[in-house]
Amino acid sequence: MSAAVPGAPAAPAAPPAAPALRCTGLVRSFGGVQALRGASFSVAAGQVCALIGPNGAGKSTAVAIMGGALRADQGQVELHDTEITGWPSNRIARAGLIRTYQLSRELGRLTVLENLMVVPYRQAGESLWNVFARPGLVRAEERRHLDRALELLETFGLIRLRDSYASELSGGQKRLLELARSVMAQPRMLILDEPMAGINPALIDKIGEHILALRDQGVTVLMVEHNLGVVERICDHVIVLAEGATLATGLMAELREQPAVVRAYLGGALSDSTSS
Amino acid sequence: MQLVYYAVTLIFFFFLYCILNWGLNLQFGRTGILNFAYIAFVAVGAYFTGVLSLGSPIAGSGESYILGSTLPFPIPLIVGGLASSAFGLLIGLIAFRRLRSDYLAIVMISVSIVLYDVVTNFVPLFDGADGLNGVPEPFSGALNLNANSFLYVFAAFTGLVALAGWWVMSRLTRSPLDRTFRAIRDDPDVARGLGKNVFGYQMLAMAVGSFFAGIGGGLLMEFVGAFNTSAWTSGETFVIFAALIIGGLGNNAGMIAGSLAVPVIFVQLPKFLPQIGGNPALIPEIDNMIIGILLILTLWFRPQGLVPERRMTFDRLLAGRNRVPRLSLMPRLSLLARRGGDR
Repeated sequence: MSAAVPGAPAAPAAPPAAPALRCTGLVRSFGGVQALRGASFSVAAGQVCALIGPNGAGKSTAVAIMGGALRADQGQVELHDTEITGWPSNRIARAGLIRTYQLSRELGRLTVLENLMVVPYRQAGESLWNVFARPGLVRAEERRHLDRALELLETFGLIRLRDSYASELSGGQKRLLELARSVMAQPRMLILDEPMAGINPALIDKIGEHILALRDQGVTVLMVEHNLGVVERICDHVIVLAEGATLATGLMAELREQPAVVRAYLGGALSDSTSS
Repeated sequence: MQLVYYAVTLIFFFFLYCILNWGLNLQFGRTGILNFAYIAFVAVGAYFTGVLSLGSPIAGSGESYILGSTLPFPIPLIVGGLASSAFGLLIGLIAFRRLRSDYLAIVMISVSIVLYDVVTNFVPLFDGADGLNGVPEPFSGALNLNANSFLYVFAAFTGLVALAGWWVMSRLTRSPLDRTFRAIRDDPDVARGLGKNVFGYQMLAMAVGSFFAGIGGGLLMEFVGAFNTSAWTSGETFVIFAALIIGGLGNNAGMIAGSLAVPVIFVQLPKFLPQIGGNPALIPEIDNMIIGILLILTLWFRPQGLVPERRMTFDRLLAGRNRVPRLSLMPRLSLLARRGGDR
């Protein structure tokens, strides 16, 4: 556990297991606004880790940088000891890091089933040559992907909606679909940007269970989350960002004892979560 | 006889617009590339087919164009398609790197205008505004055709090309490749975040769609025997887009309906009508107004078009996989059957 003054370069966290993801000194400005000011943290392999902090702390900017959607002005991102700083998002995805979005971004005019079927990388049927010259190969591979997609839809309770357009789903169902889609990619590391936002408590528990199941399968999860009750229940480790820098890292129970964290940013939320 | 000639010409244009619409449908309807320069790609195909059929410019005729040669049919047509593809890749290389769809559309309009101005004003390229004339009729020599029978034969040939185009597009739009195209259309950032090389797939859609445009342009050149800048004004792109939207964006059969509804009935057919009040420009102007109104009505009342994009349901997906034994799916199917029974 560590604490730092906002704005000052924070010491990297030192979680127990080897880090799956390590960010060092991330800096990013938008015009005159400095969204990240040297944030450093790491996520241990095989853990569920929460990234929390008040609005404007730089969480979404950090997620965008880790996922390759944004470039950092300074700093490094490493995924399983491979530096991925500045890689385009498709290359990062192929390296095993998949992210979801703060507002669900389903592929609206693809069916639920197709949202999963489209995921596997470098499908034989994505080659023009194979489509016309090797249809048998394409069909055989499609069968395998179809099996896996149906299995995941079953797991995530979306099987009955398989033929619906993704745009026709409810908010909670879109969250589940996004999670299922990410799992279809067989990631080593998942970054979930507010996976519980705007969904009912029953579904929150369900998504929490899915996240823990993923962890048990060896997937490392970093989730941006405002629901501290959920964070306390399912996260092994918590990173607190504030004003673009790492304020503290540790267990939720430990963070609750930190006067600086409680006083400056999380007081209300922390005491609320105790009763939730 | 005159009526038969009209009918054959209309049939030719129907086949031609089917081919053109399928190309743009792949780019815009399936991949989301708002290619407002599509007619320029048709022109590239037409010009290349023309110059490769015409032979060298005759000295003293006042004509001038590049690459003049007399290659046997259908080589000029195929090269025309490939030239259009290459042009598509060149434009894509510049435009797809950094631009999103709305800015891409603006770039495409600019490309169309720039190319139009270059071809019009740089006369040595394709003889400026006069364009190419007297392109020899394919098959005429070998089959000993006269002017009328050539029309029948060439309309039938265009029908065969359209049939081949239909087969290619049907196969393509049922493939995983098309699914990836549609994912890029729906959200390129998400597709990229799933590991897809969005730029590469956009380039592929551009190349294949432009090939269709180029072949269409080549066929037009061979059929009419002449082509100049008046044939590819931006209004022509508008006609193809209108056909796409009215027919049913994203659907190959919709493209057939759109070809019939817009370019054939509203653009080509009225060309055979008598002038109104001795004003030859009146009917085309009325046509444009009708197409515009039709487009607005479609977008208001039936935005999905006459034949909407088909949903790739589980059953359709499965039907495509049925041609080989699917033993591994059997338990899954029985599971689904049970689920259906539970409801």
